[in-house]
Amino acid sequence: MTDVEMKPADKVAEEKKEEAKDEKPSLPTPTAEIKSNIALIDRAVSTLEPRFTHRVLRTLATLRKRIDDGVLRTTIEEAYPKDSVVKNTLLSWLPSAPAASSERSMEIDSTLSKSATPEPVPEAEVYLRLLILYYLLKSPETYGKAIDLSHQTVEKMQALNRRSMDPIAAKIWFAVERTYELGGQLADVRPLFLSAQRTASLRHDDESQAALINCLLRSYIHYNLYDQADKLVSKTTFPTSASNAQFARYHYYLGRIKVVQLNYSEAHTNLQQAIRRAPPAKQAPGFYQAVHKYFVVVELLMGDIPDRTLFRHPVLEKALGAYFDIVKAVRTGSLSEFQTTLSKHAAQFEADKTYTLIVRLRQNVIKTGIRRLSLSYSRISLRDICVKLHLDSEEDAEYIVGKAIRDGVIEGRIVHEKGWMECGMQKGGYGPEVSDVFGRRITFCLDLHNQSVKAMRYPLNAHRKELAAAQDAREREKELAKEIQDGDLDEDDIGGDF
Amino acid sequence: MSQLKSLYDELQRAFYSRPSDLKKCGTLLAQLKIGLIEAGLLLPQGDLNLTDLAVARDILEIGAFWSIRTRDVPSFDRYFSQLQTFYTDYASSLPPSKREFPIRGLNLIRLLTQNRIADFHTTLESLPLPADAIADNPYISHPVNLERWLMEGSYSKVWNAREEAPAEEYKFFVDSLMGTIRNEIASCEEAAYESLPLKDAATLLFFTNQSELLKFAQERGWQVNLSASTITFARKGEEKIEIPKQKLIAASLAYARELEQIV
Repeated sequence: MTDVEMKPADKVAEEKKEEAKDEKPSLPTPTAEIKSNIALIDRAVSTLEPRFTHRVLRTLATLRKRIDDGVLRTTIEEAYPKDSVVKNTLLSWLPSAPAASSERSMEIDSTLSKSATPEPVPEAEVYLRLLILYYLLKSPETYGKAIDLSHQTVEKMQALNRRSMDPIAAKIWFAVERTYELGGQLADVRPLFLSAQRTASLRHDDESQAALINCLLRSYIHYNLYDQADKLVSKTTFPTSASNAQFARYHYYLGRIKVVQLNYSEAHTNLQQAIRRAPPAKQAPGFYQAVHKYFVVVELLMGDIPDRTLFRHPVLEKALGAYFDIVKAVRTGSLSEFQTTLSKHAAQFEADKTYTLIVRLRQNVIKTGIRRLSLSYSRISLRDICVKLHLDSEEDAEYIVGKAIRDGVIEGRIVHEKGWMECGMQKGGYGPEVSDVFGRRITFCLDLHNQSVKAMRYPLNAHRKELAAAQDAREREKELAKEIQDGDLDEDDIGGDF
Repeated sequence: MSQLKSLYDELQRAFYSRPSDLKKCGTLLAQLKIGLIEAGLLLPQGDLNLTDLAVARDILEIGAFWSIRTRDVPSFDRYFSQLQTFYTDYASSLPPSKREFPIRGLNLIRLLTQNRIADFHTTLESLPLPADAIADNPYISHPVNLERWLMEGSYSKVWNAREEAPAEEYKFFVDSLMGTIRNEIASCEEAAYESLPLKDAATLLFFTNQSELLKFAQERGWQVNLSASTITFARKGEEKIEIPKQKLIAASLAYARELEQIV
């Protein structure tokens, strides 16, 4: 699994607009950006509008790559008043800078913020901690330090217990999980996550809850504990208001659990959802590739052959090379080719954790082979089937064909006395199943429509006007009704009025 | 504790003596489990003495084997879940047990005979083995191969492998496995053949004598023609496709309602 940083797809457009705006005066320096972010967080807290915080967090992915200790140092120096306790604790996490530069920054500090900048809100501190955490994760030597920092940050977060911190907290949880994973202690942190998840769900903190469920699933699946992961999924409800990125992850993990349990059709839907919700391929290639690997295998297990264009996708072409070979082997229904491909790419499948799934494909290879034979011959001897599919004995061939007929892979029957298989006609394409499929599609479209209606944003108070209008209309009607009752009006007038 | 120790020694003697004294093992195991609960070792938590843990694991392992020998599958299931803690949570601190993989393999076979394929795969994934080492481990590769052959339909391979069990206890499951296979084959035959000579049917179903076959045929409701010595499989007839009226009406009404909302 790869470290995948994702951004909700729907926000990309907005971001591009911002970038376009920024282009003229050149990209702001990281320091300036962090500072403006802190100001935004401040605004979010004071106006109780989580929107601003979300805007800050959206820049996290790009910002993360540009920070270094110098940037963090100057930002912290400038953002906090001179002898703030918070500042010192924050600075203590950074490697001590060369004296000269730090002095210089101190000078800047004193000149710029002579009038004692007010201490930023605690949310800003947690945000800075998040940045430091990501900075520490850049090199393996500081993993230990990162774990300490993540611990303190979590404690701080829980002690502060502020609702305005929730969006940042969700990000922190993800970073904590990442820290422990890189530090190789993922199993130890599970109790912490579990209790945090309980707290988050009691407080209706949807963002943290979504992030924590994903962290837990990731940790279970990392250790192949599919049973526990499945139980977690059945005992929790994933918050519907979670961001697209969290949903994509959740669906990916669900897909992986389902495919192990041989529930291929559900795994297929989940992985498809993950692909649809994932950010564009160019931005998060790792996630895109990881999902597609499973997606290809699941399609094969369902008896479908994935689209060829998929393997020509620039991001996927290289990563899916081995899977392409497998697809080719399954398509031709040749067991020997399948075996050689499997042993050739065994190491890669092992690393992707798809090896056991691909081994399951063996029966699909046989089924495809039989289906091809049944299409091209109207009558074929068991001996020939045995030779063509590289089966071990005729006896096996008979059982295998029998099973294929029972499972509905092919239409036909075996004539035992003569030792051949007779292939029947294909089933007609009409029946209740067709209306079922049609019904499913219609429901999907209607659902989509309803969802989009729900997702629309309406301007505040706009409905008041309509309400007033409706009130007027009602009053007019009442008057009218009264007049009718009084018999003052004849029917022509009513028609005219309305 | 000392009482526990003597009971444990007694259990080992009873278990390893040939043939094992199964009845005595049963009573001893019941006493030992109470002892383990009192010592907090049945469901261990936190840091405990490693040798104690190893002994507790040993007792449970004997219990698991004992359940198989006394043909008590639910009891095996219980022992296995109790052993899970030792195998997964204390894997790093305890010395590996040489009975671990036989027991895990038995559990896999048990899932297979109960036709719990999804659980089989989930358990297989959680084995502490890299995927390519599975083929090298006789205890695990046996059930894995069985599953593969069952899924493919190579029933004769399953039949031939029944004597190649890597441990004595595996043979216990052979009978129930054969029952599963016969039913599988029978359902395949019903679909794939119109009629079969009695002799061939017996070979396909691995029956050695005709009376067994006849009994089986009766159970499944096949028509046996003794004079021509053939079996005719009752065709389930081209089932009339019924139009699911209720469902169609409900769907149409739902569409109408939804469309109403849109327009």
